[in-house]
Amino acid sequence: MSSPQFEVRNLRKHYDDGRIEALRGVSLTIEAGEYIAISGASGSGKSTLLQLLGGLDTATSGEVLFEGATLGKTVDLDTYRAHRVGFIFQAFYLLPTLRAIDNVQVPMLAVPGDTKSRAERAEALLLELGLAHRLNQYPNELSAGERQRVAIARALANHPSVLLADEPTGNLDSVNSARIMEILTGIQKKRGMTLIIVTHENDIAHAAPRHIRIRDGRIEA
Amino acid sequence: MPSQLSFTGFAWKNLWRRRLRTLLTLCGIGMAIGAFVALVGFSRSFEHEWQKLYSSSGTDIAVVDKNFMNTAVNQSLLGKVRAVPLVAQAEPMIFNIMDITPDVNALMFGWLEDSYEFNSLTFSSGSRFHNGKPELILGELLAKSQNKKVGDTIELEGSPFTVTGIYHGGTALEAGAIIMPLDQLQQLSSLQGKVSGFHVHLRPAPSGETTEHYLKRAQLQIEAALPGLNAQPAADRAANNQFVGLAHAVAWGTSGIALLMGILGIANTMAMSVFERTREIGILRAIGWKAWRVLLLIQVEATVLGFVGGFIGIGFGWAALYLLSTLPQTASIVSTSLSWDHLIEAMAISVLSGILAGAYPAWRGSHLSPVEALHHE
Repeated sequence: MSSPQFEVRNLRKHYDDGRIEALRGVSLTIEAGEYIAISGASGSGKSTLLQLLGGLDTATSGEVLFEGATLGKTVDLDTYRAHRVGFIFQAFYLLPTLRAIDNVQVPMLAVPGDTKSRAERAEALLLELGLAHRLNQYPNELSAGERQRVAIARALANHPSVLLADEPTGNLDSVNSARIMEILTGIQKKRGMTLIIVTHENDIAHAAPRHIRIRDGRIEA
Repeated sequence: MPSQLSFTGFAWKNLWRRRLRTLLTLCGIGMAIGAFVALVGFSRSFEHEWQKLYSSSGTDIAVVDKNFMNTAVNQSLLGKVRAVPLVAQAEPMIFNIMDITPDVNALMFGWLEDSYEFNSLTFSSGSRFHNGKPELILGELLAKSQNKKVGDTIELEGSPFTVTGIYHGGTALEAGAIIMPLDQLQQLSSLQGKVSGFHVHLRPAPSGETTEHYLKRAQLQIEAALPGLNAQPAADRAANNQFVGLAHAVAWGTSGIALLMGILGIANTMAMSVFERTREIGILRAIGWKAWRVLLLIQVEATVLGFVGGFIGIGFGWAALYLLSTLPQTASIVSTSLSWDHLIEAMAISVLSGILAGAYPAWRGSHLSPVEALHHE
């Protein structure tokens, strides 16, 4: 029997010298190719869990195993973030001085490759996401939905096996929100990727095949 | 072909996003490097002109007192210098600087009318002066700036001197100088019977003996004949006399202060940039950039500032030297020729300044926690 893609063991995360307990012993397993929604109230610890799964931060105690290797110990977090996971944020976090196509190439600068093939891949991703006419626009020239699509292309730049999205529709209207969810789930199915979405929107959470609720730093039964 | 993003292109875009700040920083480092190029270039040009002054006249050794500024060598020692077997010719000389107008001063040389040092000069009009007469010859640069020709008079210390010749010499020092009879300059300087030193032209070195060894041997012979005086190879004299030493010290000191200001300017720009881009650094870290790559990015930006600033500085420096070379007050001691060594040195200092100035901001930026950086407001 193969091991799960993620195995989270008794994860705890404290801030402010232990005065704030964001996670209080979270354990779960995630299989490769799953689509999971994590929901909870503001401050419940759902974004902290996503950050620890994505190797953006380290736990106070407990561990996250990715394909059987412990993040931060046997797996270098920078390498893990560069090659294995793609992040999508609520606020898009595109670099304002770069055109859409250049933004998509930024993660590729962290891995070996030549500029021509990087540019071609960035173009292909943006075309796939319906942004053929927006390649050379700067972020401030794009609509919110277009910005999030550029951010999705950027997250896919280095062929990750996991997509981590923190409130990806939080800054979008309902039409764009639906479009982005359609794109994300389409990518998940088409590429067989693991998709983990943190959301406070019930309809998005309920639409996912697996829904995890976090409350006060613990997974609700 | 889609737009291609390279690492250095990314660094350049980061700098270009705040054009005004980048341009002001470039001006800052440019001014600093310009000061270095101009001042150190000036002092080296000054040294170079001294070397040419000796070499063009055929002077191999300068016999002076312990202190160049002290013109208290007795002229009566000339016979002893000439009696040294290796000496072919020896000439007494006085060197001085004198105001010829309230705004313009000139280098003054006092020679004998038959000095071998005339060999390096070419008269464009007129001829040599005569010993014992109130006459002088002018370098053509000075003659032009003072609008003087042969037959005109120049008043020095209240006495009129007739211009007997206009010459052009091999050096900027000579081109802006006045040369007059030794006795006349002694009188003007109240140094009767005294000279600044003796310029010596040696006999040809015997075959098989190196120039260096021959010069050393001549030095020892002259110093043995004239106890208390220094016999120095002309090249050493040119490089180490007090005027050149002072020019070097002032140039490096002033440039050092300017460079420090330039480095602080780049450091300030990079520190501000890192602070303002904290969230962006968080994004880079989140999408897999390793700390060293972030460090390299910031360091490259600082180095680009140093590199471009170096070019601007060389332009500023050359312009300053050009300006100085056109002013009557400084034309005689400034040359606009800059050596490749000097330009490479200026670029190296500028790039090094960028690297140095970027080091701390780069280290700080690379050590930001991705999560904290992403949450930075």
